[in-house]
Amino acid sequence: MTDATAPGAVPSGAGQGSLLARDTRTAKRNAAEGRFKIYGLVAVCIGIAALIVLLTSILTSGLSAFRQTTIDMQVTLDEERLDPSGARDYDEMARVTTFGYAPLLRDGLQATIAAAGIEADLDPGDAMDLISDESIAQLRNRVLDNPDLVGQTIDLTVLASGRIDGFYKGRVSYASAELDSNVSPEQLRLAEALEERGALRTGLDWRFLTAPDASDTRPEAAGLGVAILGSAYMMLIVLVLALPIGVAASIYLEEFAPQNRWTDLIEVNISNLAAVPSIVFGILGLAIFINFAGLPQSAPIVGGLVLTLMTLPTIIIATRAALKAVPPSIRDAALGLGASKMQSVFHHVLPLAMPGILTGTIIGLAQALGETAPLLLIGMVAFVREYPDTPLDGGFFDPATALPVQVFNWTQRSDPAFVERASGAIIVLLAFLLLMNLTAVFLRRRFERRW
Amino acid sequence: MNDMRHVERTVRVDTTKITARDVQVFYGDTHAIRNVSVDIPDKTVTAFIGPSGCGKSTFLRCLNRMNDTISVARVEGRIEIDGEDIYDRRVDPVQLRAKVGMVFQKPNPFPKSIYDNVAYGPRIHGLARDRADLDGIVEKALRRAALWAEVKDRLSAAGTGLSGGQQQRLCIARAVATSPEVLLMDEPCSALDPIATDQVENLIHELRENYSVVIVTHSMSQASRVSQKTAYFHLGELVEYGETGQIFTNPQDERTENYITGRIG
Repeated sequence: MTDATAPGAVPSGAGQGSLLARDTRTAKRNAAEGRFKIYGLVAVCIGIAALIVLLTSILTSGLSAFRQTTIDMQVTLDEERLDPSGARDYDEMARVTTFGYAPLLRDGLQATIAAAGIEADLDPGDAMDLISDESIAQLRNRVLDNPDLVGQTIDLTVLASGRIDGFYKGRVSYASAELDSNVSPEQLRLAEALEERGALRTGLDWRFLTAPDASDTRPEAAGLGVAILGSAYMMLIVLVLALPIGVAASIYLEEFAPQNRWTDLIEVNISNLAAVPSIVFGILGLAIFINFAGLPQSAPIVGGLVLTLMTLPTIIIATRAALKAVPPSIRDAALGLGASKMQSVFHHVLPLAMPGILTGTIIGLAQALGETAPLLLIGMVAFVREYPDTPLDGGFFDPATALPVQVFNWTQRSDPAFVERASGAIIVLLAFLLLMNLTAVFLRRRFERRW
Repeated sequence: MNDMRHVERTVRVDTTKITARDVQVFYGDTHAIRNVSVDIPDKTVTAFIGPSGCGKSTFLRCLNRMNDTISVARVEGRIEIDGEDIYDRRVDPVQLRAKVGMVFQKPNPFPKSIYDNVAYGPRIHGLARDRADLDGIVEKALRRAALWAEVKDRLSAAGTGLSGGQQQRLCIARAVATSPEVLLMDEPCSALDPIATDQVENLIHELRENYSVVIVTHSMSQASRVSQKTAYFHLGELVEYGETGQIFTNPQDERTENYITGRIG
């Protein structure tokens, strides 16, 4: 108002002349607005295109991880080999290593080949390479768990080896097999023959989600079981620790703390902490939780604590923003009625801030779920095949890995089959993140709709 | 201004409810209230008028120590209610505010049901022995606020879903429900249309029977309609304080006269 009414400041043309003719200034402004809209649209399109490319590449290379090539056969569990003493004593039977079991599978496969009427010019040892080494160990574990199986002939579905699996997923071809020392065209031919007779098939297999990690040479058996458990345990720890601590800290800082140099300092530092590279938190965790407090390495408890430290600033900032957004009139109303400060916060302010707090917490959790760097430093990158116990049995202190670390780990391995495994793990990770974000949206809607 | 029949309004000042002596309020370095001394009688409506930023709301908020919530605000001087210094160190502002209720400029019902809005004060102060008792208190408060007839069938509906005027009356009911002795109103009608304003003004008339009401208003006609005593604030000072009729018909101070005749403000 003031500059419009200032004497002599009325520009000629503004507000004068015909409304039907657009003056140059208006035309310019409209053009600028049009250009800006186009910039924005282009930016959005680039973003969407990048997202589509990313998702397509991950899905195309990763979805096959959920499919697995298997071979059906009958195996006779020969008592002579597996339990010479006949006493079904665990310790006695455990002396028979996988070398003792391999011939059983080899014979079983030969029998299957013979029964199918396939004329294979492969010696039994080469034919045996169709079967994953992991399957021999699995058979041994199964027998040791059920000693009664010894002496019986059982139906068995075994994992095909990585190269055969790759043949059915398009990674391996006859041409590449010529050059590959791990697989020969004859073996591929045998696999095709078995498939025609229905003994070999490729289908959905959830073992990718449940099985533990496997060694470099057995990509077909590598699974995410331990990593999913480890990540779940860490999320549990982060939620249980970071939510109450973060919310309590925010409420204190926002509602109760006096405004002075100390609280200013704390505020600045919280904002700065949110920007600290996560690997620094890993070093902190290594120094404090492992070297000083003596907690075990690779354990979800340490990972959870480190991620809690990392998530706290996010939660505090989000919670404070949510508390700030509650209109002061609500506080005034409660205080004016004679409510104490705490009553006004817990009865009125906190319920109104809840959607924002929950959203912030879940975003913090999602951030923690995808975090890799600090976990590398506290040893969660280790090769762990044992499932951690349930939390009640001290599972938080057992070694485990985490989803993003598992991705990192697999991408470093040489066998191309691990590319598929890593992409599959990324799909799982993204699915969890999507689930968490949907939960955040749902909770926000739910709490906002109340009034 | 002369036909407002102020003269026929008699003021029965029985007792003094609030006494303020040499009150100073500072917001940081700003001296917002200077040397205000005033005696506010019981069972009377006292209006604070004055141009924007003159400190009338600030002074009102001193009376129930709402200024305590602003960290930079500092109050000096002495304010007594029934002879007790409310800024005494032994006084808990929470207890004080149960005795001195407040209605704000903008209707600010809690985002809860109408019933819970009114019942909140009695609940936190433990005024009701059981549910039936609480129901009675809520009904009485809503009746006092002339809202009962409109909301009695939807007490569980959201308080924020009412119209502006209803919301403000709900806030008055909420303040009344804790049985305060003094009711402070900070421009209670500034967000309301004329009809709702009329309802709230009638209500203020009735509330006078039980409470000492202090109302801050921008509208001089409202002050002359509802109040028996009027105080004119100007730039943080209490310029003139007297019976409403006298202030509006025969102001002693030139600044008051300028304001009520529309020359400033």
